[in-house]
Amino acid sequence: MNGIQPPTIEYGQLMPLLLVFGAAIVGVLIEAFAPRYLRKAIHVPLTMLTLLGAFGLVIVQVLRDGVPTAAVAMGAIAVDGPSLFIWGVILVLSVVSVLLINDDDNFVASAAAVPGSPDEEEAIARGGAHTEVYPLALFAIGGMMLFAASNDLLIMFVGLEVMSLPLYLLCGLARRRRLLSQESSVKYFLLGAFSSAFFLYGMAMIYGYAGTVDLGGINDALGRVGGQDTLLYLGTALLGVGLFFKIGAAPFQAWKPDVYQGAPTPITALMASGTLVAAFGAVLRVFWVALGNLDWDWRPVMWGIAILTMIVGAILAITQTDIKRMLAYSSIAHAGFLLTGVIATGEATQNANSLSALLFYLLAYGITTVGAFAVVTMVRDAGGEAGHLSRWAGLGKRSPALAGIFAFFLLAFAGIPLTSGFFGKYAVFAAAVAGGALPLVVVGVVSSAIAAFFYVRVIVLMFFSEPAADGPTIAVPSAGTAAVVALAAAATVVLGVYPQPVFDLADAAASSLFVR
Amino acid sequence: MELYVPILVLAVLAAGFAVFSVAIAPITGPRRWNRAKLDAYECGIEPTPQPVGGGRFPLKYMITAMLFIVFDIEIIFLYPWAVAFDQLGVFGLVEMVLFIVTVLVAYAYVWRRKGLDWD
Amino acid sequence: MTTHYLVLSALLFAIGAVGVLVRRNAIVVFMCVELMLNACNLAFVTFARQHGNLDGQIIAFFVMVVAAAEVVVGLAIIVTIFRTRRSASVDDANLLKY
Repeated sequence: MNGIQPPTIEYGQLMPLLLVFGAAIVGVLIEAFAPRYLRKAIHVPLTMLTLLGAFGLVIVQVLRDGVPTAAVAMGAIAVDGPSLFIWGVILVLSVVSVLLINDDDNFVASAAAVPGSPDEEEAIARGGAHTEVYPLALFAIGGMMLFAASNDLLIMFVGLEVMSLPLYLLCGLARRRRLLSQESSVKYFLLGAFSSAFFLYGMAMIYGYAGTVDLGGINDALGRVGGQDTLLYLGTALLGVGLFFKIGAAPFQAWKPDVYQGAPTPITALMASGTLVAAFGAVLRVFWVALGNLDWDWRPVMWGIAILTMIVGAILAITQTDIKRMLAYSSIAHAGFLLTGVIATGEATQNANSLSALLFYLLAYGITTVGAFAVVTMVRDAGGEAGHLSRWAGLGKRSPALAGIFAFFLLAFAGIPLTSGFFGKYAVFAAAVAGGALPLVVVGVVSSAIAAFFYVRVIVLMFFSEPAADGPTIAVPSAGTAAVVALAAAATVVLGVYPQPVFDLADAAASSLFVR
Repeated sequence: MELYVPILVLAVLAAGFAVFSVAIAPITGPRRWNRAKLDAYECGIEPTPQPVGGGRFPLKYMITAMLFIVFDIEIIFLYPWAVAFDQLGVFGLVEMVLFIVTVLVAYAYVWRRKGLDWD
Repeated sequence: MTTHYLVLSALLFAIGAVGVLVRRNAIVVFMCVELMLNACNLAFVTFARQHGNLDGQIIAFFVMVVAAAEVVVGLAIIVTIFRTRRSASVDDANLLKY
């Protein structure tokens, strides 16, 4: 036996991750042992303190140690500048999403009770809702952080699953329209499992090519291994399928509208913001760190996918009649805009510029998205949220403030100046032009214009139509929901008017690029 | 870029052939149905219909099976550790205890939520 | 000769993928996904043999555990929808569209 050395693990740098997972496990224990009426009272502070504490740890780490220059845990996890920034973004988005989750009345009282059965009536009469939501959300958030920071395809796969499995369950837990919710859960699960099988087979091919699944090791093997190109190309393509599914790029976008519509809206907010951020972190790592020297081969395909994603997202959004489906297609279009930044590689400074633009865009888009879904939770009909767009007609006359804020979020999605969306889009497109992807930027601007059409259509509908006589009521927001809307609106304004500090932060995070 | 041209050509040819053969068959082909044609082709004996309402496992069995699978498979991680536990020393022991505690947390949840009761 | 194993793994993966696309019953679709995961495992173990390192075998362990977790989550979801609709056909899940 040649000696097997115990691995070294840098617990200090992994602390934010360990804290989130630890709290999730404690959350399961609370579910097991705390009496029913106390559970929520324990979960809420535990979850919030954990997420804020992890955010604090990220900041402390940056201030005290600066940006680490080597991967930790035997090269399995890379806590580098982009990772720390993405962790910060994910944690901020999670905190605001959890504020939405806290709101009563979103989650089912008893998931096991068949809709419409006496069991269900009994569970509703007993009051309360499933509190398993909190540990599940913490596991999903921890998985997102792991997914974005993995320096090894195996850890990336584990992170992907730890992120996805709780989300599959959370999607099925809506309190109202439970058939839709369960259906979205099944669809998301089957398609998600299908795509992760592709990811895994791609990983097997890459392992067969390189003899390692370490991202840096794959990069080294590109120059060393000859005559195995079939494995390499096959592996790259299959890995790409798995990753593009997670960001919802066309032609792998089919799940997104269904799942976004069916899932409970706070969970949709978490998925639309956090999962997208984490998945882009992973896309960047795979295509820049591991396959960076193969860019001439993956770039043409990525061009096609980016163009298709932008066009599909923008055009199909026009035909939607449900507000959550429309936001889902808008999220697909935004994934396309973000892909233009992923394509814009070049020498080190160009890469740093693209990366910093992407990081800013992810933050700006994520926070606006959570705000928009928070507004969606507040516009209610008798049967729950008023999803159909016709129900939103005349909202501006009934509730000018709320409609105004929603209109502002939509303008930010469209990328109108003085909103965060403008600077995000501008930075990514500028980086793409510098990286030689001018035609992509033209497509991006055109599809932005198409997208602006349906955002403006909703605004017109809200402000210039007569409200229906039996229109939806505006629920009086809980403190949490009100805080989310206010916070998201404030962030959208601040990032749109004075984005420089955040740009500087993103530049600093991106300057040293990814560790290898 | 040239790398993709053969693939594109092949895709176009394949799509064209598929569409052509599917579209042309109903137009040109004769239609003479008989019993043998409607049978499953060379698939052994004729399938018997499933009993209605029977032939299914009860849900209780499903839950027990699910719990068994997940706890059973977790044990797999003990094998690599058991092969080299002397060389991994205290570090390996501590990590493995942590792992088992994590699994036990899930077990405690199942137990407290009456997942282990048959009735 | 590791090629045979790779061919077998590719065949299994393809059978699983086709099964996912053509079968109607959610449980069968799900079993096909598991078949794809096991095809990956076979490929990993084969490549581990070919490269003479143990990474592939360790990865196969992780994949098995992830697959088990996926089975539990998946069956839970499918059983829930089955109890609601008395059907596990994916064609019946058609409320969400356009």
